[in-house]
Amino acid sequence: MVKKIIMFISLLNCIGLFAQSAEEIINRVDNNEVYDSIRYEGEMLIRLSGKEYKKSFFSYGKGTQNSFMEFTNPDDEGTRYLKKDGKLFVYSPDTETVMPITGHMLKESIMGSDMSYEDTIDNDKLTVRYSVKIIEESELDSKNVWVVELNAKKRTESYPKQMMWIDKETYSVLKAELFALSGAKLKETRNLNFKKFGNRYFPTESEMRDLLRKDSKTVFKMIKIELDVDIPDSMFSLRNLER
Amino acid sequence: MDELKTKRGGLGYMIKIAYRNIYRNKRRSVLCMTAIGLAVFFIVFMMGWIMGMYDSVVKTVLTFETGHVQVFTKEYFAKEDFIPVQYPVEFENGSVDEFIDEIGKIPGVKAVLPRIASYTTLTDSKVKHAVLWGLHIQKEFETNVFNLKEKSNGLIKGRYPLENENACAIGRKMAEKMGVTIGDSIPLKAVSSQFSDKFWNPEIVGIFDFDYGSVDTLYIIVPYERLQKILSLRNKAQKIILYLDNPEDSEIVKSAITELIAKKGNSDVIVKKWQEHQFIDMFKQMASIYVIVFLVFIIVASFLIVNTVLMMIHERIKEIGMMGALGMTRLEIMSVFFFEAVLLSILGSFFGILVGGVVSYAMSLYPIDVVSLSGGMEMSISNTIFVKFSWLYLLLSFIFGVFVSSVCTLFPSMKSAFIEPVEALRN
Repeated sequence: MVKKIIMFISLLNCIGLFAQSAEEIINRVDNNEVYDSIRYEGEMLIRLSGKEYKKSFFSYGKGTQNSFMEFTNPDDEGTRYLKKDGKLFVYSPDTETVMPITGHMLKESIMGSDMSYEDTIDNDKLTVRYSVKIIEESELDSKNVWVVELNAKKRTESYPKQMMWIDKETYSVLKAELFALSGAKLKETRNLNFKKFGNRYFPTESEMRDLLRKDSKTVFKMIKIELDVDIPDSMFSLRNLER
Repeated sequence: MDELKTKRGGLGYMIKIAYRNIYRNKRRSVLCMTAIGLAVFFIVFMMGWIMGMYDSVVKTVLTFETGHVQVFTKEYFAKEDFIPVQYPVEFENGSVDEFIDEIGKIPGVKAVLPRIASYTTLTDSKVKHAVLWGLHIQKEFETNVFNLKEKSNGLIKGRYPLENENACAIGRKMAEKMGVTIGDSIPLKAVSSQFSDKFWNPEIVGIFDFDYGSVDTLYIIVPYERLQKILSLRNKAQKIILYLDNPEDSEIVKSAITELIAKKGNSDVIVKKWQEHQFIDMFKQMASIYVIVFLVFIIVASFLIVNTVLMMIHERIKEIGMMGALGMTRLEIMSVFFFEAVLLSILGSFFGILVGGVVSYAMSLYPIDVVSLSGGMEMSISNTIFVKFSWLYLLLSFIFGVFVSSVCTLFPSMKSAFIEPVEALRN
């Protein structure tokens, strides 16, 4: 009987330890990926049905609620996106008008990529949005990883469930799978490159596949990244969007 | 003697006897004629209905989808259901505009009309998705009649957008669904040929009704140049539609364009005739099935006439014996019964085409609402169709009715010829 009680207490301890560890791991992931502010130039390489499209842009971000992005490649030159207080707006040079992106539009892909508008909106810390648990310890690309399951705390979350493969050494997310409420896998992302900024390993190149699209993937590259720089609030204004 | 034999046993004499026999049992004769008449009526009506549908499909496909000849790329054709703009016609040697000019000079070509269709997402609307349809509006209406029911350009309110105007015209059903009218704008997003998100906000200047469900509910008509620019299709064409002076010249024109494309050196560009459209092809294949259906119908009706002939033979068995005893040959006896049945078929078929003709003619003037009948058809067909009236259909149905019923009565009539006179008289 005493043996059984000891075993039960040990088991509870294990679960407790795992839960604590999972939180800690995701905290470390957040520390790697969430920034106060960012400025960078980027590229999006979209491959769809054997064709390839390259987009270039520069972007600014402040906190989790404000960001600004302007495309510079010839076909999209002047197209600007603004996320202000979590709401998304677009300026199109063809019509010179600002339009909000709301409702079902948020599910649409950005510039034909595998990424949707709502993927850009959800920037809050994972620990705030998801409850986490470690599923197993494993190996991915010859790296030791934790396989972590994240379940959304709110029903409004775009992906109610995520699975993440987190590097034990750097606390970087190497791979993530995003699921719908039905359990169907919707998207798969892989972080291909990281850059070290002080103690953080920041992902600079990632690949996303929208599994609902056939023969499709998007590689997202960040170049000339500057983290935690001073960006004026006027950058994230509607006036700046339609300037 | 020979003269007397000819007179008494000749064809005319047999037909006369057969004609008189019709009146011996009027009720049975009327019943028999009614069955044949109903079958022939059905054939006349169904031929008119099917050909009306076929005409509607052809006109709709020609007007809205294919023209008489269309030019696009292999990749576009493979993904045509998604109307992609990412696989346009373009040439390294020369521009698409030059190509359009050149094909316009091919003898028999009436008009060359590049068109763009692209799916779009509507923001802030009850209707989430629609199709942007870029047309050379003025030229299109000079070439085509878009409302096949009213034979008009379909405009019910306002006007169509001018070339390069930041404006659009939408279908009546779409306007009702969205709760918008002239003067309102439609904020939308389209994806360009370079996979760029293009946001646009055209103002509604006109509302149309083409009597074609999918276009009236889904399509937003915009000026071609404007859409071409927005979708990054400058010097490219998603699809080029050709209208000919004579639609049957499509093969000749197709060959001429194919030669021109070969000179330009882009093997990805292909040419299709209107006859190759899936619905037209499907209807042609279905024609043989309809003949079988008609045949079954008339054969079923003919069972009544077969039965009538058999009853006549049993009823007149003594008479047959007497005819044989008086010297009538087997062929003569048989022809009396055969002609009686043929006369019933002729009369029945005549009444069939008479009623069928009147009904078809009336329905060729007043269209039938197919949508309310079918609950919405996913086909290239207008909402209303006209039953096609044709004298040829009446003639064909009459011949078909008489021929099939006559063939069916041939064998029971032969039975009368093999009845022994002595046996018949004894009965």
